[in-house]
Amino acid sequence: MEPEGRIWRRLREDRAGLAGLAVVSLFLMLALAVWLGLIGQDWSIAAGGRWEPPSPQHWFGTNILGQDIFQRAVYSVRTAFEVGLVVAVLSTLLGALLGALAGWYSHGWPDGAILWLMGVLDSIPFYLFVAAVAYALQGQPWAMHVAMIATFWTGTSRLVRAEVMKLKTREFVMAARTIGLPDLLILGRHVLPNTVHILLVQASIAFVAAIKTEVILSFLGLGVQDGVSWGLMLAESTQEVLAGHFNNFLAASLMLFVLLMSFNLLADALQDAFDPTFDPKQAAQ
Amino acid sequence: MQYPLRKAFHGLLLVLGVTFISFVLMVWFGPDQTYTLLGKNATAEQIAEVRHELGYDQPFLRRYLDYVADLFTLRLGASNASGEQVSRILARTAPVSLALMLPGFVLGNLMGIALGLAAARRRGQWTDRLISGLSVTGMSISFLVIIIALQVLLSTPYGLNLFPVRGWQVTDLPSYLWHVTVPTLSLVLVTLGYNTRFYRAVFVEEASRDHIRTARAFGASPAVLMWKHVLKNSLVPIITRVMFSIPLVVISGSLLIESYFGIPGVGKVAFDAITSGDQPVLKAVVGLTAVAFVLIQIATDLLYRLVDPRVA
Amino acid sequence: MNAPVLVVRDLTVSVLQDRQPRAVVDGISFDLAEGEILALVGESGCGKTKTAEALLGLVPASAGSVSAQSIVLGGTNLAALPESAMRRVRGRDISMVFQEPLTALDPVFRTGHQLSAVFRRHRRLGRSEARRASLEMLERVGFADAGHVLRSYPHELSGGMRQRVVIAMAMACRPRVLVADEPTTALDVTTQAQVLTRLTELAGEAGTAILLITHDLGIVAHYCDRALIMRDGRIVEQAAVDQLFRQPRHPYTARLLAAARGEAP
Repeated sequence: MEPEGRIWRRLREDRAGLAGLAVVSLFLMLALAVWLGLIGQDWSIAAGGRWEPPSPQHWFGTNILGQDIFQRAVYSVRTAFEVGLVVAVLSTLLGALLGALAGWYSHGWPDGAILWLMGVLDSIPFYLFVAAVAYALQGQPWAMHVAMIATFWTGTSRLVRAEVMKLKTREFVMAARTIGLPDLLILGRHVLPNTVHILLVQASIAFVAAIKTEVILSFLGLGVQDGVSWGLMLAESTQEVLAGHFNNFLAASLMLFVLLMSFNLLADALQDAFDPTFDPKQAAQ
Repeated sequence: MQYPLRKAFHGLLLVLGVTFISFVLMVWFGPDQTYTLLGKNATAEQIAEVRHELGYDQPFLRRYLDYVADLFTLRLGASNASGEQVSRILARTAPVSLALMLPGFVLGNLMGIALGLAAARRRGQWTDRLISGLSVTGMSISFLVIIIALQVLLSTPYGLNLFPVRGWQVTDLPSYLWHVTVPTLSLVLVTLGYNTRFYRAVFVEEASRDHIRTARAFGASPAVLMWKHVLKNSLVPIITRVMFSIPLVVISGSLLIESYFGIPGVGKVAFDAITSGDQPVLKAVVGLTAVAFVLIQIATDLLYRLVDPRVA
Repeated sequence: MNAPVLVVRDLTVSVLQDRQPRAVVDGISFDLAEGEILALVGESGCGKTKTAEALLGLVPASAGSVSAQSIVLGGTNLAALPESAMRRVRGRDISMVFQEPLTALDPVFRTGHQLSAVFRRHRRLGRSEARRASLEMLERVGFADAGHVLRSYPHELSGGMRQRVVIAMAMACRPRVLVADEPTTALDVTTQAQVLTRLTELAGEAGTAILLITHDLGIVAHYCDRALIMRDGRIVEQAAVDQLFRQPRHPYTARLLAAARGEAP
């Protein structure tokens, strides 16, 4: 059976992965619905009293300002996807680009420079870096995204670099070079497409990491500035729980957990499907 | 002889890189402290004087080189915010951070290794699937959620109410244990999923090697195979991971835990310095981090030499 | 022929390929006489290595399933032994030498340690006794400076030297059967002869029967008493070596011989 067929078959058989995919799609539709203005629009309105318990008007009750927790939790799905997608896509692309360049010109100066950059970025403690970027960008809402993209790309680029170094020695690449095709063309058209499996898995890992990071950044006051996110809800809840009000905390953490868990399962399924040595039968025994 | 020289050179480049980026971000773009020091009704002369003192009127390269020179000669100065000597601040807070983070970091890795071994040994069976499932679950829970949940469950009247909610009044061993338990537990729970996942993969890879088959062919039991042969052969990737996760886990993690639990450690000090633009403190923290990273790399190389006879 | 020391009846190893079970070893039966050197010959993929692994119970459940009516080694049916009992047998009553000497030994332990482990486990020797036994064994496999080899790590030794260490481990307990899976294929020609000669001498001294797996008919002719020809998981011919070379009965055997002589098939 050719490789593509095998990959699809594995994906179809991975029940956990399929469940993950289903849930993620559900969340994605929620995010789209919020973006299109269909639901979750009343997240900032103080519609009720302080800390009301769940009721038909407010399904999860209200927070300290009387805002509807359910509305806020739903709107946060949109925030999560915005942050997750932007960071995942851009950091993976950046990583792919720099990794490919480093791998192609390995042992030359581009490789040395990119490796040095990766080393530097990896040695700066992440939250200090983000705080610094947030300040450098004067509290702009994109500061958080920039900081994440600027640090997340290193993981992808390391893997792409290694893969490109391996692919460089394969016959089809050597053939292309003998014909005289320009390097960048070979990289773009022949080599990079063969790293797609790495990129897909890395993007999904970055998505999860971005959402988790946003939560902590929002707690530190460096995250989402306008709108609401699960991170902000959790940050609010830190004082509330000490007074015995758990609705905010539960709503945010549950939705966060479900989305993250589903995405992780999906990422695992992708990784297993692409792994040539993985045997589903082995894992099932 | 050439090898250590090359390593030192790369280390130096790294330190320069880190200091450069940090300088650009924190010092060049950082908050202008002139007005914090002077207040609102300052004369033009006073402003000019303070700016000159703080070095704001110098060109970029000059300021950067001064910065690096200060770092290397350990002229760390005094905090703009409190006036306390930076070296005193670090001496006071660094041990706190270490005492706070080390138990959780070590425990998280040891348990990850043990669980990874258990899962790899019974690969594909229910033990493995349980451990792997728990790992994925752990990876899907936010650090913040864990901290809040643990705090409620262990430190408030809504839970067991056994541990302090905030603070660090450590005078002896019992008070240390009392304060460090919840942070340690949080750190372990957060890192355990990732650690177990990683170590399991390493052990599965090692267990498939030929020499394991040889050992089995001569009668070694599964326990011996795993805990002696696989483990010792996996030390290189284990060391790599532990050492290179130090910046992330210990330093970044300490920032979060210290902020949350109100513990006076380096992370919190560093964070406050960034948000208030306290440059002397910033310089010191950043420089130290870069040096620490280079030291970690050197230590890693030495450890490789110790555990793997093939490394020259 | 002497009394058989190993009696194999109806040994089958099946693996899952594209979800279908396939028998890579298909119900084979043979006897191995005491002290004899029996060749197991065939092209790559015919099931030779799986047969060897199955005899020692080394086929992991995830790789395939093994079934046999019996694998009787000196009175005990290995096929019916629980794993814990099988561990006592491996390396003591039946041992194996593998095809790839470069990866056969554990790179992070000294060779002396790995050899001593066999003595300590199966002969219950203490540390210094095991060390002495290891030194002696290394000398017997032909190392002039056994002490140096004892202290060395595998990567400090050549392929041929590593293979001799494995042979030392395999013969340490004077097993009744030694299964050698293409022990010299990965070595250069001069070393091949050295290793095989040393192996067959040691086995002769200890009365160990050898099941020698190989695709090299030259080795069969030179070292072996009888031969089994294997193809697609089945044994198509068994005969004494002279007989085999003079009058092969099965057409496949004839083709193998012709190919070895460089003639047209």
